[in-house]
Amino acid sequence: MLRSVSARIAAVTLVAAGGVIVIFTLFFVAERNLRSANNATTRAADVSSVGLTLRASVTQLDSAFRAALRERNGTTLADWHRAAAAWHQPGERLAVIVQRPGDVQHVHEIETLINQYVDDYGNPVLGIAQFSPSTAKSADVSEEGRLRIAQITKRIDSITGAAARSAALRSRHADGFANRVTEAGLAALIITPLLLLFGGVWLMRAVARPLGAVVSAASSVAAGDFEVHLDEDDRRDEFGALARAFNRMTSALKTNREELVTRAQRLEESERRKSELISIVSHEVRTPLASILGFARLLLERDLTQDEQRAYLRIIDDEATRLASLVSDFLDIRLLEDRRFPLRAIELDIRPIVVDQAERMLARHPEHTLVTAVGAEPVLVVGDEQRLTQVVINLLSNAEKFSPSDGRIRVGVSRTAAGVRVFVEDEGPGIPPEHADEVFEPFFRGDAAAAGIAGAGIGLALCRRIIEAHGGRIGFENLRPGARFWFELPAEGLVPEDDRLPDAAHV
Amino acid sequence: MAAETLRPLILICDDERPLRELVKAALGGAYRYEEAADTLEAERILEQDRPALVVLDVMLPGKSGLELLEELRGRPETADIPVVIISAWHGEYEVTALGSGANAFLGKPFDPAELADTVERLVAA
Repeated sequence: MLRSVSARIAAVTLVAAGGVIVIFTLFFVAERNLRSANNATTRAADVSSVGLTLRASVTQLDSAFRAALRERNGTTLADWHRAAAAWHQPGERLAVIVQRPGDVQHVHEIETLINQYVDDYGNPVLGIAQFSPSTAKSADVSEEGRLRIAQITKRIDSITGAAARSAALRSRHADGFANRVTEAGLAALIITPLLLLFGGVWLMRAVARPLGAVVSAASSVAAGDFEVHLDEDDRRDEFGALARAFNRMTSALKTNREELVTRAQRLEESERRKSELISIVSHEVRTPLASILGFARLLLERDLTQDEQRAYLRIIDDEATRLASLVSDFLDIRLLEDRRFPLRAIELDIRPIVVDQAERMLARHPEHTLVTAVGAEPVLVVGDEQRLTQVVINLLSNAEKFSPSDGRIRVGVSRTAAGVRVFVEDEGPGIPPEHADEVFEPFFRGDAAAAGIAGAGIGLALCRRIIEAHGGRIGFENLRPGARFWFELPAEGLVPEDDRLPDAAHV
Repeated sequence: MAAETLRPLILICDDERPLRELVKAALGGAYRYEEAADTLEAERILEQDRPALVVLDVMLPGKSGLELLEELRGRPETADIPVVIISAWHGEYEVTALGSGANAFLGKPFDPAELADTVERLVAA
C-alpha cells in the first residue's frame, strides 16, 4: 500500500501518462501498418500491370511470328524483329518490381523462355520457311510454338496472380490488425479516464478524511479546547507528520495557557496580599504610635514625678524603636524581590543580641515567662549585626504573638558542628502541617488573621532572606505544645568587611 | 481602706502592655485596674469581679474583643457594664462595635484626655 500522499499522486500521474502513451502507441502502430499494407497493394498492382504488358508483348510476339510465317515480306519480318525486342523492357521492369527473391528467379526464367522462343523456335522456323514453307507451317511446328507461348503466359500469370493474392492477404491482415488496434485504443481511451477517476477518488479519500479531522481539530483549538488530540499512530504519511506537529502545537499551547493562568492567579494573589498588607501596615503602625503619642501627650499636659516621666519616656523609646524596626521591615519588602542583598559583615558575639532583644520583648509583655539558654563564652559569628538583630526581633515577636498570655518563651544560643545555632521556642499553637511549606513565604499569614494576631507576613520571609544571604539555614519544628524556630550560621561563612575589598561588599 | 474599695474598678483588655500602661496613666489614680492580655483572661476576671467599666481592644489573640462584647451584652449580669472600644481599625469596627452595644469607640492613636473624659462620664452615669 502506498503510504504517503505524494506517492499516491505520483501513482495516479503515472497511470494517466501510461494511458496516454498506450493510446498514442496503438494509433501510431495501426497507422504505420495500414500505410505499409497500402504500399504493398500499390506494388502488387504495378506487378499486375507490368505482367499484363509483358503478357501482351508475348502475345504480340506470337502474332508477329504467325504473320511473318504466313506471308514472308519486309513488313512482317520487321514487325517480328520489333516484337522480338519489345518484350525486354516490361521483362526487366518486372524483375525490378517483384519483391520475393523467388519471383526474380521466375522472371529470369521467363526471360530465358522468351529468348529461347525467339532464338530456338521463331528465327529458325522463319529461316526454314524461306526454303520449305510447308515444313515450317506443319502442325508439329505450330504446336510447339503454341506450347512454348502457353508455358510463358502461364508463368507470367502465376507471378501476377501471386502478387495480387499476397497484396489482398496483406491488406486483409492490415485491416484486421488496424481494427484490433483501434478497438484496443478505444478501450484504452475509456479505461484511462476511468482509472483517473478512481485514482482521483482514492487520492481524495487519502486527503479529504484526514484533512477534515485536522480542520475540525483546528476549529476546536480556535474555540479554546486544547485537549483535542489527532490520531497519529496508524499514519506514516504527511498527515501523520501533520498530526504529530498539530499535537505538539496543542500541547505547547496548553502548557502556555496553564502557565499564563498560573501567573495570573499568582498576580491576583499577590495583589490581594498587597492590599491586605496596606491595611495591616496601618494597623501595625498605629499600635506603637498610639503609645508614643499618648505618653508624649501625658508628658506635655500633666505634672508627673520624675519616675513617671522616666517610665513613660522608656515606653516611648521602646515603641519608637519597635516602630522603626517595623518601618524598616516594610521598606525591606523590596529586598525580598531584589537579587542583591547588601550585608555589612563584621565579627560579632551573637549572645548579647539574643539576650537584649528577649529582655526587651519581656518588658513589653510581662505576662510571658522568659527562659534563656545562653552560655558564658562568647559565640562569635561573621554577620550583619543590624540584620541579625532584625531576625532575632522577628522570631521573638512571632513567639510572643502566638503564645498564650502566660506562655513560656525559651531562647538559646549554641555551637554546633556546622557553626552557630539560635532558637526561639514558644507554647503557641504551632504550625499546621498544611502550612509548613509556606511559613517563610512573603505575606503568608496562615491562621493569624483569624486568630486576631497582627502582622504583615513579612517577618519570617525577611528572616529567611537574611539568613540565606549569610549562607545559613532557617527552619522550625513543632513542639507539643508550641513551635521552635531556629537558624544556623556557618562557622566559615562570610568574610568580615575589614578583610575584603570594598567592591565585594555584596553577597 | 474603705476609700480604696470605693474607687471604681476598670478592666483593661489589650494584648499590648504599653497600651494598658497608657490607659492607666491617662485615667490616673481615681480608679482601680485589672489587666488582661487576651479575652480568656478578661473572662476569668469578669467571673470574679464586676468592673465599673471595660476598656477593650478588638484585635486580640483567641477570641476577639467584639466577640467578648457580644457575650457581655448577652448575659443579664454583665449587660449594663459600660464598654469603651479602642482599636487601630478605625471605621471598620466602629459601626459594628457601637451596633453590638459598645458605649464608646476610640481609634488608635487616641487622646488620653478624651479617654479620661469618656470613662469618667460613663462611670458616673
